[in-house]
Amino acid sequence: MTAPVVVGYTATDAGGDAVALGARLARALGTGLHLVIVLPNEGTRSAAVAPERAYEDHLRAQGKRWLQDAMTSVPSDLERHGHVRFADSYAEGLIAAGEEFGARLIVVGTARGGLFGRHTLGSVASELLHSSTIPVALAPAGTAQEVDLRLPIGRITIAVGSRPGAEALLEEGTALAADSRSDVRLVSLVPFDAPPGLDTGELRQVGAKHGEGVLAAARAALPQGIAVETAHAPGDSVEDAVAHLDWLPGEVVLVGSSRLAQPRRLFLGSTAAKMLHELPVPMIVVPRSRRTPTD
Amino acid sequence: MSEKSHTVVSDPVTTGISQKGLSAGTLGLIGAVVLGVSTVAPAYTFTAAVGPTASAVGTQVPAIILVGFIPMLLVAFGYRELNRVMPDSGTSFTWATRAFGPWIGWMAGWGLVAATILVLSNLAGIAVDFLFLLISQITGNADVAELTRNPFINVAVCLAFVLAATWVSYRDLRTSEKLQYWLVGFQVVVLIVFAVTAIVRATSGDAFDPTPFDPNWFNPFAVSSFSAAVAGLSLSIFIFWGWDLTLTMNEETKDPEKTPGRAATIVVLTIVFLYLLLAVAMIMFAGVGEGPLGLGNPDIQENVFFALSNPIMGPLGFLVSLAVLTSSASSLQATFASPTRTLLAMGHYGALPKRFGSVHPRFFSPGYATIVAAIVTSVFYAVMRFVSENTLWDTILALGMLICFYYGLTAFACVWYFRHQWFDSVRDVFFKLLFPLVGGVILGVLFVTTLIDTMDPAYGSGSEIFGVGLVFVLGIAVIAIGVVLMIVQAVREPAFFRGTILGTEAPPSARARRP
Repeated sequence: MTAPVVVGYTATDAGGDAVALGARLARALGTGLHLVIVLPNEGTRSAAVAPERAYEDHLRAQGKRWLQDAMTSVPSDLERHGHVRFADSYAEGLIAAGEEFGARLIVVGTARGGLFGRHTLGSVASELLHSSTIPVALAPAGTAQEVDLRLPIGRITIAVGSRPGAEALLEEGTALAADSRSDVRLVSLVPFDAPPGLDTGELRQVGAKHGEGVLAAARAALPQGIAVETAHAPGDSVEDAVAHLDWLPGEVVLVGSSRLAQPRRLFLGSTAAKMLHELPVPMIVVPRSRRTPTD
Repeated sequence: MSEKSHTVVSDPVTTGISQKGLSAGTLGLIGAVVLGVSTVAPAYTFTAAVGPTASAVGTQVPAIILVGFIPMLLVAFGYRELNRVMPDSGTSFTWATRAFGPWIGWMAGWGLVAATILVLSNLAGIAVDFLFLLISQITGNADVAELTRNPFINVAVCLAFVLAATWVSYRDLRTSEKLQYWLVGFQVVVLIVFAVTAIVRATSGDAFDPTPFDPNWFNPFAVSSFSAAVAGLSLSIFIFWGWDLTLTMNEETKDPEKTPGRAATIVVLTIVFLYLLLAVAMIMFAGVGEGPLGLGNPDIQENVFFALSNPIMGPLGFLVSLAVLTSSASSLQATFASPTRTLLAMGHYGALPKRFGSVHPRFFSPGYATIVAAIVTSVFYAVMRFVSENTLWDTILALGMLICFYYGLTAFACVWYFRHQWFDSVRDVFFKLLFPLVGGVILGVLFVTTLIDTMDPAYGSGSEIFGVGLVFVLGIAVIAIGVVLMIVQAVREPAFFRGTILGTEAPPSARARRP
C-alpha cells in the first residue's frame, strides 16, 4: 500500500475539518487513512498532580469512542484505522505516529478565529510545522461542512521561491500531482524573496527567469497528461499574491516550511498566519529536507 | 461534540484501536517525595490547623499530631489494597459502591467531593490573607494586611484566585517538575528557619510568651478531656490528608516494588518532623494562652502564621507569607484534580448526570466537573464569609468531620469488600481486616463524637445558626444536601441505583480456588 495519510484528530470542529480534508486527500492519492488521537501522558501532565493510571484508562476509553464516532464520517470505501496515542506533547505524538505509519501527509485542523482559538492553532501548528519531517496539511475552518469528501484535488498550486528547500518542495508537489492526477500551477515567489529596495522591474525579470527554470524542472518530473502552468503572483507581498489568485474547488497549495520560519516565530510565522487567513484552500507545508521514504 | 456524518456508513471500523503508547512509570523516588510533600502542603495545612488544635488540646499539640497519624496510616493501608485491585478515578465512590452498593457508595463519593470543595475554599481563603500580608510586608504599609478583613474585598480576591485555579485545571496547564522542586524546597526551608528562630528567641527570653519546653507535650494521655482529644484528632487527620496518595502510586513509579513505600516513609517522616518542630517552636514562643499572639487567641487561630510571621521573623516575615502563598497556590491544582475526577467517575457510571463524565475534547480535563466544582467552591466561600465570624476556622472543623466520614466509609468498604480473603495469609489478616477495621472504627468514633460536640453553639469560632453550632449545621447540611441530591438523581436516572452498572462484589478467597 502507498504511504497513508495521518490525521491528528480531536473531537472538535477543527478535528472534523482535519478528518474531512484527510479523507479527501487519501481518496485522491488512493491510499488509507489513520486517525490519531494524541492524549497527554499522565506522568507529564503536571508535577503537582499525581499520575493516575485509572484516569489515563478513562481517557483512553473516551478517545476510542471519539475515534469510533469520527470514523463513521469517513466514506466506507476508504481504508481507515483509529489509534490512541499518549505523548508528552501533541505535536510530538503526532509526528511519532506519522513516522510509525510511514505517512505521506499529516493533516490537522485549524481553530476558528477568536483569541483563544488563534493561540491554540499557533502553539500546536507551529510546533508541528517546525519539527515535522513529514508534510503537514492544514485544513481551513469549515472544511467538514463545506467540502464534498469525494471532490478530487483537481489542481495543485506550488508556491516556489528561492529560499532553501525549494527543490524538496517542487519534488513533493510534482509527486503529489502525479499520484493524484492533478494539474500543477506554479507561482513564483522570487520577487518577494529579494531584499527590499531593489528595482521592481528588474525583480520581475528575475522572477520570470526563475519561473521558466522551475517550469522546465516540473515538466520533466511529471508524467504525460498532466498540465503545468505558471501564474503571475500579483501584489507586493506573499499574502497579497495569495489573496488575489483564483482557486478551483478542491485545490490545495504547497508552501515550503522555510517560508514560515520567520525570525520572530512566536507562534506561527507572520507570513504563514496571514496566508492562512487569506487562503480559501488547504495549505500543505513541506519541510525543508524531506524524509526519504524507506518503507 | 464529535463530528457525526449524515452519510451513514454500514460497515464497521476496519481494525481495532491500537493500544500502543502505554506510558511507563515516570516517577522516581525524589519525584514521588516532592509530589507527596506538595500534596500535603505543610505550610498551608499547618497555619490553618494549628490554632484550632491548640485551642482544643492546649500544649498537647505535638502529642495529638503523633496520635492523629495512626488512623490515617491504618486507613491508608486499606486504600492501598483497594487501589491495587480496583484502580479507578472514583476512588472512595467506586470502592464503597462495590462493597456496599450504590447508596452508600454515592454518599462516600459525596463526602469526598464535599470535603475537597471545602478545602478548596479554605485554601483560597488562606491564599487571600497571605496575598495581602505579603503586599503589606513588602510595602511596609500595615493597613494593606487589614484589607483582608473587608468581606467584599476578601470575597472578590478569593473568587479571582478560584477563577485562576479553575482556568489552570480546565486548560490542564502544566507546572514543570523543576518548579515544583523549588516550591517544595523553599517551603520546607522557610518553615525550618521559622521554627528555629522561634525556639532560639524563646530560649533567650525574647519572645511573646516564653514557655519552657516540656517532654510531656508529647504525652497524649495528658489531654484534658476525651472530647478535646477528639477535636484535636479530627484536625490532625486533616493535616496528614493527601499523604496517602504516595502509598497508592504503584504503576506510576519507576520501581513499583520499592518507590511508593520508600516515598511514603520519607514524606511522612519529613511532615511529622516539620509539624512537631513547628508546634513545639510556636508553643515555646507564643504559648497557648489567649493573649494577642497566643495560639489560643480566637482572633489569630484560623491563620496562625499570618499573626506570627512578623513577630518571629522580623523583616524576613515576608518569606513565611511567600511560602504559605506558594504552598496554597501550588496545591490548588492537585486539590482540584481530586473532586473533579470523582465527579467524572460518578458521571461516567450514571451516579450523576452524564455531563459530569465528559472529558474536554481538546484539553482532556474533566471540563464540566471542573466548572461545577469551581462554582460550588466560590458560592460556598462567599456565603461562609458573610455568615461566619471565623470562616476559615469553621470550615476546617467541618472539613475534619467530612474527612472522617468518607475515609471511615472507605476503610469499612475495604474490610467488607475483601471479606472472603481476610484469612488468606497473615498479611491479609492485617491489611485487609485489622488495619482498615481499626482505622475505620477510630474515624467513625471521631465523626460521631465531633457531630455531638459541635451541636454546642460555643464550638469552633462560636458562630451559631438557630441556636446550634455553625460547624454542626455545616456538617449536617452538607450530608443532608447529599442525600437530597442522591434521591433526585435516583428518581431521574435510576439505572445506577439499581446496581446494574456498578454491582457489588466480593472477590473469593484465594484458598477456595485452589484444588
